[in-house]
Order: sequence, then C-alpha cells, then structure tokens
Amino acid sequence: MGESVSRFRYRSVATTAAVALTLLLGAAAGCDSRQEPELPSVQEKLRESHIWGQPVLRIGVAEDEPLMGEVRNGVHVGFDVEIARYIAASLGYVGDHRIEFVSVSTEDRIPALQGGIVDLVVSSFSITEDRKKHVSFAGPYFVTTQEVLIPTRHRDTIRTIEDLRNPKYKICTSGGSTSEAELEEHQVPMLVVKDVRDCVKGIRAGRYDAVSSDLTILAGFMARHPKDFEIVDMPFGTSELLGVGVPIGDPALRDLVAYFLHKSYQQGLKGEASPWQTAYNRTLGPWLRVEKRQPPPLDVPELVDFDDKVPQR
Amino acid sequence: MSTAAATTRSEPATDVGPPSAEPTGTAAGGWDQVERRARASQSFWTAVVGVPAIFSVLRLGVEAGGELQTTLLLVANVGPVNLLAGFLTTAARLLSTVLVAVFALGGVLAASAHGMPRRPLLARWMEITPSWFVTASFLIALVTWPLLYLPLLLPTLAAAFQLRPERLHEHPVVRALIVAAGYAGYLWLLLPTLRIAWREGATLPILLLVVPPLLALFVAGPLPGVVIRPLASVTQLAVLVVLAWAALPVISTPVLPLTVTTVGTSAEATEEIRGHVVTTDDVNMVILQERGGVRYVPVEQVRGQVLCPSEEELPRHQLRIHDFHVEDSLLEGLGRRVRPVHRMDAACR
Repeated sequence: MGESVSRFRYRSVATTAAVALTLLLGAAAGCDSRQEPELPSVQEKLRESHIWGQPVLRIGVAEDEPLMGEVRNGVHVGFDVEIARYIAASLGYVGDHRIEFVSVSTEDRIPALQGGIVDLVVSSFSITEDRKKHVSFAGPYFVTTQEVLIPTRHRDTIRTIEDLRNPKYKICTSGGSTSEAELEEHQVPMLVVKDVRDCVKGIRAGRYDAVSSDLTILAGFMARHPKDFEIVDMPFGTSELLGVGVPIGDPALRDLVAYFLHKSYQQGLKGEASPWQTAYNRTLGPWLRVEKRQPPPLDVPELVDFDDKVPQR
Repeated sequence: MSTAAATTRSEPATDVGPPSAEPTGTAAGGWDQVERRARASQSFWTAVVGVPAIFSVLRLGVEAGGELQTTLLLVANVGPVNLLAGFLTTAARLLSTVLVAVFALGGVLAASAHGMPRRPLLARWMEITPSWFVTASFLIALVTWPLLYLPLLLPTLAAAFQLRPERLHEHPVVRALIVAAGYAGYLWLLLPTLRIAWREGATLPILLLVVPPLLALFVAGPLPGVVIRPLASVTQLAVLVVLAWAALPVISTPVLPLTVTTVGTSAEATEEIRGHVVTTDDVNMVILQERGGVRYVPVEQVRGQVLCPSEEELPRHQLRIHDFHVEDSLLEGLGRRVRPVHRMDAACR
C-alpha cells in the first residue's frame, strides 16, 4: 500500500515535470520560430553595400586583353567579362543594360576603385599584399603563372631568365603589374609601358624583343597572332592569384562577391556546369595547354540565402 | 452543464473516444447532454468556417496597407476560394499548433480534474471534440510543422490521448527494452544532425530533437491538485495570448504572390516594380506595390515578370536531417525533392 502511494507520488511528480518541460520547450520553439536568422543574409549585405539602390553596376574591365577582356563588335567579351557578368547577375544586375563596363588600364585599376569610378574591377587583377593596402580582393577566381611571350624570330635565342638579362634584348611589361615587380626581382632590365597590348604592338614593330605578363593575358595575344608568337615557360616561381577588386571601404560588397564565387566553386565540385566553368570553356579553355579548374576562394563569409533549403544531394 | 458532463463520464482520465461511446446516465441527463453536444457541434462548425473567413477579410485590409479603396480593389479581384485556399496554405501550421496545444493541455487537465467543482474549459473542449478531429489535427501538424519541432508532437500526442508506456507491454523489462530500442533508433537517425549542431553550439535544436521523446514517457497521468488549479487558469489565458501573438504574422502574410515586373517603353528605359499582381485585363496590369500604392501598368509596356521569395522565408538554422532542412515541414521537404532546383531570379535582389 505504502509502496503504491509512493509510486503514485513519484509518477505525479514526473508527470508535472514532463508537462512543465514540454510547455517550456514549446515556448522555446515558438520564440525560435520568430527569431531572425543568426547569420547575415545576402539581402542584408546588399543593403549594407554601396551599390544598394544603384540602377547600374560599373565594372572595370580590360578592353584589349584577348580572351580575358576585349571589345569585339562593340560588345565586351572574355573570361574576366564573363565572370563580371556572373557576379553582376548574382547581385541583381542582369543583362548588359544594367552593367556599365568601364575600360581600365593595368595601372588605373586601383585609382579607379579608390576614386569611385567603378564599383568592381575584374581585370586580371593579381592579389598582392601591397595592393591589399589600397583595395579589397574577393577570390581568387583564377590561378596563373608569369610567363614570357616571344616573337617566333627569337624562338631559339630567348629560352631562359638569363637570356632576358642579355642587354641586347628589350623586355617589355605593363606598368603597375606584378610582372614588373617580378622582373625587377630577377634583375631583368625592362621597358615599362601602359598595357601588354602596347608591348605586343612594339614587338610586331620591332621595338621590343619579348613581353612578360600573366599566362592568361599572353595566351590571349597568342590566340590573336598564333603564327607570330610563342609562349616560353620560364621558372619565375610565383603563382598569380587573380581576384575581383572591390573598394576597401565596402567589406559587404567584398563578402558578397566572395560568396558568389564560392557558390560557383561548389557547383563545380558537385560536377554541375558552374558559371566559372562555362566562362572558362568559352574563352580561355581551348587556348591553355594545361587544363585549369576554379580555385577555392579565400575568406568566404557564411551568409544565408533563399536557396539554402534546396536539397544538396 | 459542466457538472453534468463531469458526473456522466465514467472514466474521464482515459476515455477519449467519440461522444456516442459514452454512457448517458438518466434520461433527462441524456437529453441534456444530447442538446449540449448539438449546440457544441454547431458552434464548433461555425468557428471552423467563420474564423478563416474573418481572418481572410482582415488579411485583405492589412495587405491593402490599411487603404479603404485598395482593400475594395482586392475584395473585388481576389475570389473567396482563392482567399480561403491562400489562408489555409499560410495558416495551416498555426491552426494545427493551436489545436494540438489545446488538445494536449485538455488531455492533461481532463485526466487530472477529478472532483473539481467546475472542470477546466480546455478539458471540456477536449471531451466534446470528436476523436477523429483530434487525430486529424495531429496529422496536419505532422505534415506542416518544421522537422525541428516535430519531436514535440510525441509528448503532446501522449498528453492528448493519455498514452502511457504501460500500453506497450505488460512486462516492465520488455517495455523498457522496447522504449530503449526505439529511442536508440531515433538517436541513430538524428546522429549526423546532432553532431553538426553540437559542433556549431546550437543548444536549442539539440534539446528540441533529443528531449521531447523522453518527455512523452512521463507526460500522461494525473497532475497533483496543487498544480492543476493554477495550470488550468494560466493555460487558458496562455493559449489565448499565444493565439493572438501567433495570429499577427498570419494576418500580415500576403495573400497574393510577390513578383517583380519589368516595365518600360523602350529596351533601355526600364523600371522594375516589386509587388503583388492583383489582376490583369486587356488594357492594364494592376500591381499592388510592396511599399504601398497601386500601379496600373499598360500591358504592352510589360517586358517580363518573375516570382520572388520574401525575406520571411530565409532559414534561421543551417541544420539538415538526412538532407531535409530542419525548418522545412515534411510536405515542403518532399516538394523540394520533386522540384529540387529552386533558382531565384536576380531581379528579386
């Protein structure tokens, strides 16, 4: 009898505790369902960025870097331009009427961002510690190396970095580029011009003997003049990480660009046709000897977006 | 009325079957009960039809931004069937939550309120509601609640129907084994999700997934008299407050889908209007703008239109249970499997 009373008591205490806990958990679930997401959303970042409310997005691109960024029949084409279009579309700027492509030379990329002339720069912009003091980078979206483009007339004479140091050869490069710093480090005397295009023109006119730049840019000129030039693989030893330049005062925009580059990277990992892969196949792909893949972007923020609930498998 | 109900029920703690199954006592008491049930049934069905109708009309007023003429425009163009279907789509979760809460509390109170001079309201509701309706409410909750909150259905189900573990098997050892095996299987199913939640430090999701099945073992049974009196009065008030609190977002949920319409007279000069399309005729497309105001756009100027999600649909958690997002209901999760790729149009940004 006493045992059954104590069991009844134990039971009613347990029931009380269970009912109270169920009510508590129910209330917690109710509060949870009304809370804002813990992570910032893409929309929030967009509202924070300086492009919010802008009717068009101004993107700095190269206008005469074949395969990367050039104007053909009045339309901007190239790998950088395709990447720029993908980022713009992801940010809500679909179609060329919502994008203003601004041609920027190699040396004008940082001033254009600092001066507010462009909102983004997608123009073979190598990520370096020195440049990070002036602009922010999202990416990398491509990893390339520094190489040398020579005219076929020098096919047998310019083969090594030592050959570049020979004073009888005039080596050309574009001002403000990483190639300029790299040649300097290897004590290669050089002539600095505004763009790689000017170097190529100069070689064709006989003023210069070789041009050093990123493989991607050189491959473009190779594609334009396949019979006149040759790319020489030289052991400069550094890889160039190409990133999207963003004004240093707009971390929200940098985060958004990094997020969308990462989204494309993940699509590629899953074997889907990512925007990056499509851009690559349409432009650079056929002209590079070694097949490239999209590198994983760095410092990607965790953001919440509308398609986060979509099945991942 | 309530005294009659209390005295005529032979086993109020366990009897949750349909009203006809109950013993009726004296002839006069039987008539009284029949009449009471008929009236209760009438009010019940009036509420079932009336509440959604009133809610729907209220929602139109909110949707129109409080403007009388805009409300009338919506009333003129949104059909009653569409309105009711729209209401049920967005409010099914709230309705089932309220019903489940009422029935669970009603079950607990009914089981505990022996000898009370006046039986608590929720207990009386529980007693007059047909059991098929209670079951249907739980089934609707099962398919509309987010997966994260679904485990809470177990203790509420046990409370509503007063299901005790004793029902599983008469032998305590076998019973314990069945419960342990069931719980182990449940944890095994959730293990990958729990591991990620632990890594992310998400305490509430872990509690919501792990604890409720254990509570279901103890929740059925009479509560002590000390607890039952305050619980009866507090829960009635709490249900009303929670109903009002939860109804606000439902009233302000849009009736019409959110779209972005691109309009323009030429290819270059275009404008994007974010809002809800009220109606389209041969001359105009009528758009209720998201920030208020109605626009009549000539149909020949419409260049394109896309459907957009609203920010309320953004997920709060990053957890998945076997690739089903924890904030999706079973229905939504299945829907995403039928149409897995959801591409949001950039114009919605």
